[in-house]
Amino acid sequence: MRKPYVQRQRADWWLRNPAYRRYMLREATALPLLFYTLLLMSGLYQFTRGEAAFLGWLELLRNPWLLALHGVALAAALFHAVTWIALVPKILVIDTDRLRVSPTVVKRLHQVGAVVCNVGLLLLVLLLVGGGR
Amino acid sequence: MNAGDAPDIRALQADIVIVGGGGAGLRAAIAAAEANPQLDILLLSKVYPMRSHTVAAEGGCAGVIQLHDSLDAHFDDTVSGGDWLCDQDVVDYFVHHATEENLRLEHWGCPWSRKADGSINVRAFGGMKIERTWFAADKTGFHILHTLFQTSLKYPSIRRCDEYFCTDLLLEDGACAGVQAIDMRNGTHTLIAASAVILATGGAARVYRYNTNGGIVTGDGMALAYRQGVALRDMEFVQYHPTGLPGSGILITEAARGEGGVLTNSDGYRYLQDYGLGPETPLGEACNKYMELGPRDRLSQAFWHEAKAGRALATSRGEAVNLDLRHLGEARINERLPFIRDLARTYVNVDAVHEPIPVRPTAHYTMGGIQTDRHTATALPGLFAVGECASVGLHGANRLGSNSLAELSVFGRVAGEQAAARASQGPAVDPRRLLARAQDNAAGWESLREARGGEHLATIRDEMARAMEDGAGIFRLPGQMQQTCAKIAELKGRYRELGLVDRSRVFNTEWLNAIELGNLLDVAEAMAHAALARKESRGSHQRIEDFPERDDAQFLRHSLVYRAADTPRLDWQDVVITRSQPAERHYGAAGQQESKP
Amino acid sequence: MTETVTVRVQRYRPEEDQEPWAQSFEVPYSEDLSILDALNQIKDQQDPTLSHRWSCRMAICGSCGVMINGEPRLACKTFLRDYRGKDALEVRALDNFPIERDLVSDISGFIDHLETVQPWLIRSDEQPVSAGAYRQTPEQMQRYAAFSQCINCGLCYAACPQFGRDPAFLGPAALTLAQRYNLDSRDEGASQRMNWLNAEAGVWSCTFVGYCSQVCPKDVDPAAAINQGKVASDINYAVNLFNILRGKDDA
Repeated sequence: MRKPYVQRQRADWWLRNPAYRRYMLREATALPLLFYTLLLMSGLYQFTRGEAAFLGWLELLRNPWLLALHGVALAAALFHAVTWIALVPKILVIDTDRLRVSPTVVKRLHQVGAVVCNVGLLLLVLLLVGGGR
Repeated sequence: MNAGDAPDIRALQADIVIVGGGGAGLRAAIAAAEANPQLDILLLSKVYPMRSHTVAAEGGCAGVIQLHDSLDAHFDDTVSGGDWLCDQDVVDYFVHHATEENLRLEHWGCPWSRKADGSINVRAFGGMKIERTWFAADKTGFHILHTLFQTSLKYPSIRRCDEYFCTDLLLEDGACAGVQAIDMRNGTHTLIAASAVILATGGAARVYRYNTNGGIVTGDGMALAYRQGVALRDMEFVQYHPTGLPGSGILITEAARGEGGVLTNSDGYRYLQDYGLGPETPLGEACNKYMELGPRDRLSQAFWHEAKAGRALATSRGEAVNLDLRHLGEARINERLPFIRDLARTYVNVDAVHEPIPVRPTAHYTMGGIQTDRHTATALPGLFAVGECASVGLHGANRLGSNSLAELSVFGRVAGEQAAARASQGPAVDPRRLLARAQDNAAGWESLREARGGEHLATIRDEMARAMEDGAGIFRLPGQMQQTCAKIAELKGRYRELGLVDRSRVFNTEWLNAIELGNLLDVAEAMAHAALARKESRGSHQRIEDFPERDDAQFLRHSLVYRAADTPRLDWQDVVITRSQPAERHYGAAGQQESKP
Repeated sequence: MTETVTVRVQRYRPEEDQEPWAQSFEVPYSEDLSILDALNQIKDQQDPTLSHRWSCRMAICGSCGVMINGEPRLACKTFLRDYRGKDALEVRALDNFPIERDLVSDISGFIDHLETVQPWLIRSDEQPVSAGAYRQTPEQMQRYAAFSQCINCGLCYAACPQFGRDPAFLGPAALTLAQRYNLDSRDEGASQRMNWLNAEAGVWSCTFVGYCSQVCPKDVDPAAAINQGKVASDINYAVNLFNILRGKDDA
């Protein structure tokens, strides 16, 4: 008689194949960003508690461990952005009878957009910091 | 079930049972569902429908569509291509409905290749005077099959029994009243009572060692009908496709030549010009009915002569000639023949853009099959047959490439409508009345599953395949034909002494392969005896030593093979000739002169 | 002596075994031998009880999908030569499907998913055949061409951890098939199929692992199809929201 054997997904399924490991690495980029978000929020909180608390928080940021973690968060964000933008042309297909944009152009536009946004933000911050001085 | 008891039978009922889920079976199911939505239609197949061998058809599907083409021209090409053994009323019906069916497939979503303006494109094919082969790149069968399968899902009245292996036809009062099958998942014998049964089980080229066919193409439906006394017709006509890969036999489509590919021998010479197909056409300019676009029987026979004269290439996979596509260029190969490029790369390690592909003729198609009238009805009331398993009278002694895919739709529809008409009128069959017979049958199959003889399944299969290659191949020599008939009889005897190892009921493929082998042996027997009886040369049946000429006086007739106790019984049936009297078949320049007024 | 290769084949005999186990066979090496050829040789000459599915042996029927050294592959399109010198060659039934027996998977759930997405051409005005073919330019055909190449072999389901987690997920091939018809210029059924795309088991269950596209033997790129489906689902959501806000709730 029939007795199909049901294969259960193992808890370590993602360790068993390089494609899955890459996928998990990409998903894991969320963790440093989570850390960075929490850090920013704590800064905001310290800001509400007065100048001394905020300066203490700024001092904390000079900790070499935290600097390293910033580096990791930046690398994770870049890795995520680069791999995401590489996939965009597969997903965002603009190919209709009226309008056709080639996949390469879609990708380039995203890359340019990412650079413009980041540089813009940086300039804005520098402007604010400079204006505040 | 306990030992000694009658096997358990699961009984089902339907109005129409269709055996086989390939192009013909699916088209029949849809036609029946459209003809009468009240009917309960059961589509039964030993594989999921999209695995059926229609999937492997590559080149295209015929249907007149160009303004300078005509139904008469398609008729003439088909009849002369079949060496006048086609029933001309059937050919007429076919050419009148092929285009309509192709268009219907288009309306169901089939992605036929297009011209730049969005209209249907057609390509050249062997033996066709004007381009009329519709195509979907070089996966035409694949797209047709998937389109039909997906479209069939629209109809709630079509039920499926996937992976059910049909073992018997069940008769009641001299009519077909249902089928019996094994549910492959658990080995349960299942009877399905129905007032109409359509066999659409495909061909049988697996009787040969080197063939283009999938492992499932084992002549099941032919054997089922044959065992119930239905005649197998024109079984001696087996088409060798001129271009299969050496070793595996994997199909390299005729479209490769339709697009301009050429065949060369070991001297690099386009040898077809020496076989009445010339003069040589310019490289890359395929010319209809010349050279590489001659009919398949002629091309396969030319290879045989070349090999015999020592002008074939010796490859590690056996003798071959070169199919050269290089002059077509990468862009055209990628557009029109992407699958061929992929197959050559994968299976013979050749990139067709840079090197010629080694090819050789391999068994491809059974022109003959279950005898039916032009409405797909067999001599057994309630039983219909369609597609490659049937002989409706379309292909004669040699099929033209791309006529068979069109046949699936044209006659699949006819079969579905005919079965629906019968099922709509007739009273339902009570499955209980079939039970005793089904139990007897099941007991027989159960004893096969338990078989403990000394004979080995794979050995019998391989010996059969070699014998058919020797005695019923491209050229049939008298001594070898006799030997093949004797060998098949011997193997049928040894088959009764088969020993099987697998006793399981769950997906017991050894058991199913054994049933298939029984089917193959019956079909092989019919082929070998029909070949022996036809003492002439016509189309794909060539007896160069003893009867090298066509003999219309005696053999402008269909052969009929009936099963009998020892050797099968032969009979003959007149060919329907309406307006094309037999003439000599000419291709190349000779054909050109003939068609001038 | 001829060179041989050891092939470890997963066995599962439902009437005898509680769980799968591996059996080793020696197969004579040859350059042309596919894994399917090797399995057939084993069945013919060594152990006739080995069960596996196959037919066309040219990578178009989709029957012979198995795991080869942990990767979903077609047995007919994978060769012994690709594993020469490797420590092991292990053939198992496809991941994520119940095992019926040996290398035969129960794919009925997958086939049900294919049937769910209404994979046929839907028109509001079906033209009679006598009106001729619908016009479709090669450019229009190109938009869905890749997605129409699926042979239903199920490798992408074996590759998909989301399907492994939840067999109700419609999965790569079924969602790709929906997208194939949605992108066909002759079809007008996208709004009907949106019910399936938007459903719990539809496109949003995909987390874009992307391995399905890597293992596809026909370069169908199901990951792209599904994620295009997400874009379509987003647009559909936005349009519905807009209509509701305008008081035109006909979604």
